[in-house]
Amino acid sequence: MEKLKKISLKEAGQLIQDGDMLTFSGFTIWRRPMALVYELVRQKKKNLHLFEVNGGTHTEVLAGAGVVKIWESCWVGHELYGKLGESIARGQVEGSMIIEDYSHGHVVARLLAGAFGLPFMPTALSMGTDILNPKYDMLGKAGLRDGKNPKIPKEKYTITQDPFYGKGDILLMPAANPDWAIVYVSQVGDEGTVRVNDQTYTDAEAIKAADKVIVVAEEIVPDSYLRNDPQKNIASGYDVDYVVEAPWSAHPTGSQGYYDVDANFMRDFYSASKTKEGYQKFADEWIFGVENHEQYLEKLGVSKLESLRANKALGYSTRIKRGKR
Amino acid sequence: MSNKNEFVKLEECKPIDLLAVAAAREVHNGDVVFAGTGLPMLAIMLAQYTNAPEAVCIYEAGSIDGRPIDLPTSVGDARCATQATMASGLTEAFYGQLHSGSVDLAFLGGAEIDQYGNLNTTVVGDYLSPQKRFTGSGGNPDINSFAKRTVFIMVQEKRRFKEKVDYITSPGWRLPKWPSGEMVHKKEVYGKFFRGGPSAVITDMAVFRFDDEGVMYLDTVHPGYSVEQIQEKCGFALNVSKVSGETKLPTYNDMDLLYKKVDPEGIFLP
Repeated sequence: MEKLKKISLKEAGQLIQDGDMLTFSGFTIWRRPMALVYELVRQKKKNLHLFEVNGGTHTEVLAGAGVVKIWESCWVGHELYGKLGESIARGQVEGSMIIEDYSHGHVVARLLAGAFGLPFMPTALSMGTDILNPKYDMLGKAGLRDGKNPKIPKEKYTITQDPFYGKGDILLMPAANPDWAIVYVSQVGDEGTVRVNDQTYTDAEAIKAADKVIVVAEEIVPDSYLRNDPQKNIASGYDVDYVVEAPWSAHPTGSQGYYDVDANFMRDFYSASKTKEGYQKFADEWIFGVENHEQYLEKLGVSKLESLRANKALGYSTRIKRGKR
Repeated sequence: MSNKNEFVKLEECKPIDLLAVAAAREVHNGDVVFAGTGLPMLAIMLAQYTNAPEAVCIYEAGSIDGRPIDLPTSVGDARCATQATMASGLTEAFYGQLHSGSVDLAFLGGAEIDQYGNLNTTVVGDYLSPQKRFTGSGGNPDINSFAKRTVFIMVQEKRRFKEKVDYITSPGWRLPKWPSGEMVHKKEVYGKFFRGGPSAVITDMAVFRFDDEGVMYLDTVHPGYSVEQIQEKCGFALNVSKVSGETKLPTYNDMDLLYKKVDPEGIFLP
């Protein structure tokens, strides 16, 4: 086993080149690699191509900073804490970003094909919708399906007939193989074995589909500890290229077993993101106003972090106020 | 305290309580239910306490048949996985459960709907130059396209009940068949993958269902509203020839469960 390449958040950010295609771990507002996402903004990346099974707070941090050119996905928002993805919405309405809409099942199909080394994956989900309207192929409209970019398929999808059992129409979804998977995980072993707590989302698929993988872990643990329960692990060390150890690095998103979603922080970010000026103010304070992740945590403060800390038995915080009562 | 199984008086419940209870009543015991965030969660959990104790719930982030102690605030929440049979991922949710044909009932929301149950959660205006962008599809069209029955929970407004939705995010009963875009019955689009479609729309004013042709009709009117008031808040000519009566109010037991067991923190309820 090759020795684990341990790097810093800053070094991880420097690996990402302008125009690269990225995908992420997590689901909406859970287990997103926020600390590295902030670092990409701090390093002023350009023209990033995001392929995401679903978007969330991290998408909006990137889109608001103007570093995103293409967003292929199905959904973006902050769940209960912000009903829309304001910066992606602004990008589409203004025409400053290329938004390619799929359904959730379609993007899963695309990532699965990429993960399994297949050129496409069939699915019959979400047929008969405007997602498949040929007029709404936005990468095609932008002239980007000419085969010059190896990461952009020549068609958004195709329809074929089931050749075996006569089930009728079925869709073929092209594989997605991003340049990078940026994956926040619960634990990584000192030989690179990867574990996430509870729901696995599409984290294992993202790791397999991407050319290179950066794992940002809540903690690094002895590999032998993870190998005692191999059924809880989602990837082996040889799938991982770089590892960053950064506690609390999913904040303000939640991490099962470690901390809950920071609802107030997310609500504040969402209201700020409704205007470009608001976003800039947020970025000046929380991204450019701190030099690194450690300063960000200091700024949040111990009592804030303690309120979010997960109950050891339940895996989420019981001390935060979530509702109106 | 009145008998727990008696219906509350109109002034004793809020519109959202009636929405949750009416939705819960759509669950059959033993149903495999795929639920979205918000009111759908209240509905499935209430149903499990009342009319459908053997119903199971799948959330699209991968928790299968969870028994949350605390109400999740989203389908990816850590709380969804408490006492689940599996804490899996989206491949299991979309292919292993949905595509394989395991799902009986979907509970979903939406921004705009037409008389065939086509739903829009993507944009307002022309997609190529939209006035406003919503969240996008999420799993709504996937879940809706493969569940045997779908119940939509929505707010009753004229701008939401439209003759024609600006963008078909999620499939109703009459759909464009691509690549031509010809409007046909859902069965023609889905072939042997066809399993069903929208069965009810529940709003703060009424319950709607779909006839054999897949056209929406008014079924029950919530107490305190008239058929005329509902037509006024609907952007297409509503079939009101099959109204079966008033929607039943929640019982005292329903209200107790909703406020003390399902959402005691007041996350979705006031």
